[in-house]
Amino acid sequence: MSSAHRRGGRRALHVLLVAGPALFLIVFFALPNAYLLSASFQVSEAQQLTDTLTLDNYRLLFTRPFYLNTILRTFVIGGSVGLIVVVLAYPLAYFLVRTSSRWKGLLIALSLAPLLASVIVRTYGWYVILSREGLVNNLLRALDVIGEPLRLLPSSWAITIGLAHALLPYGVLTIMSSLNGINPSLERAAMGLGANRLRTFLSVVLPLSFPGVAGGFLLAFSIAISAYATPAILGGPSTEVMATQIRNLMVSLLDWSLGSAFGVVLIVSSLAILLATAALGAKRSAL
Amino acid sequence: MTRALSWRHGPWTALKLGVALIYAFIVGPILITAIVSFNAVNRSQFPPQGFSLRWWGEAFTPQWLGPLAFSLELSAVTALISTALGLPLAFALARHEFPGRGALAALTMSPLILPTLVTGIALLQFLQIAGFGALLGFWALLIGHVVICLPFSVRTVAISLKAMPPAVEQAALNLGATPATVLREITIPLCKAGIFAGAVFAFIHSFSDVNLSLFVARPGQRPVTVTILSFLEYVGDFVFGDHSRD
Repeated sequence: MSSAHRRGGRRALHVLLVAGPALFLIVFFALPNAYLLSASFQVSEAQQLTDTLTLDNYRLLFTRPFYLNTILRTFVIGGSVGLIVVVLAYPLAYFLVRTSSRWKGLLIALSLAPLLASVIVRTYGWYVILSREGLVNNLLRALDVIGEPLRLLPSSWAITIGLAHALLPYGVLTIMSSLNGINPSLERAAMGLGANRLRTFLSVVLPLSFPGVAGGFLLAFSIAISAYATPAILGGPSTEVMATQIRNLMVSLLDWSLGSAFGVVLIVSSLAILLATAALGAKRSAL
Repeated sequence: MTRALSWRHGPWTALKLGVALIYAFIVGPILITAIVSFNAVNRSQFPPQGFSLRWWGEAFTPQWLGPLAFSLELSAVTALISTALGLPLAFALARHEFPGRGALAALTMSPLILPTLVTGIALLQFLQIAGFGALLGFWALLIGHVVICLPFSVRTVAISLKAMPPAVEQAALNLGATPATVLREITIPLCKAGIFAGAVFAFIHSFSDVNLSLFVARPGQRPVTVTILSFLEYVGDFVFGDHSRD
């Protein structure tokens, strides 16, 4: 009786210990997101949400050129970042997996080093390289290639390079873990059967490492489309992306319904990326 | 051996060259930031003009030490709370079957899947609508950071719980230990590494966050990342001020 009672008490304690954190997440994560979803369907008037339901927020996002361009620019930047990350990360990952150098550990650490520096520090480096009196302009002027400094900032491609630089380690990690999983005897078998090095790489190694490539691309893409700091530092009013636009709408203009609609577009994109990741059997291990 | 060398030679050397360039790409901007910090003038200029430690002196004034201390405190408390909340969740998810387990796992992990920026605006909006706008600043930051750090705490502890051989705990129980003793003497010490790793992850994730903090901070209660970012945004406007930025 008392033992059953004690067990019941312990059970209640267990339920409480799990219910507490669960409730915390429901109140401060699930509920706010539900509000966000509902706000995206509400009319915002005089900086207040009203009870009138509407689809106008989404209509505005996808028809007004300014907003539509912001969305398209965000995805183009995200796609380019993913592509650059994969293209640069692949040779690096391949080298790191195959090298027999005694500096291997150090080289791996160095390739992941950017993760240790804040994204702001890394982006500021690009700001210094590309600004009016930056490395590129001063170098070109010293070589007499140009007379007047080039206006390299703000620009979409500066944002793209900055983000690719910041997200490269994720690509290296996912591709390395994919390459590590390939059985080396498969390559030996292909070469034993007469395939040359290039042929072996193209028809054995590359296809087998595809999950890492797809995973690296999708991971970089998904982080890039919701990044704020890099577009804020390297971009300007002519290169707004969704994140900077959301900040304008939520904090400066207090247009919550439009800001929320942008937020929902980002959430839907993230879920679509998740589905694509699962469908492609891609690696998500870098997280 | 010689054959191995010969087919390796060409492509492998080319690869090494490419890899060296990629390393330059990785390290360059970070080095440049470090070098510019010794610049003598108030300009984002490269190569720097002269050498000076004045910016380092400036960094150690209350204007910057304040936000830094604020960030350290916020991240420490975040790591502590997220570990405390994550522990029972990890136990439940890794060890038990119960109705709603899948939903709980999804709820716990989704802050990792949804963009942090959106979690930030959702929290901002929710606190404003629910009339808790006064929480913006430290408390809202703490709540938001715990939400986004919880997945890390839960995952690292769950991994070490799964890696632990169940026989160890069974043996202790058979030898007469009470479940509380087993937890205290066996289970917790054995997944200490996981708990510690989770807390470290949470600390780093909280300390480096920009996307959530941006929305729920308030002047005077801002983490160092947001402080630096708004400073840089201001400097950007300053530098391009006379050229109109678009």
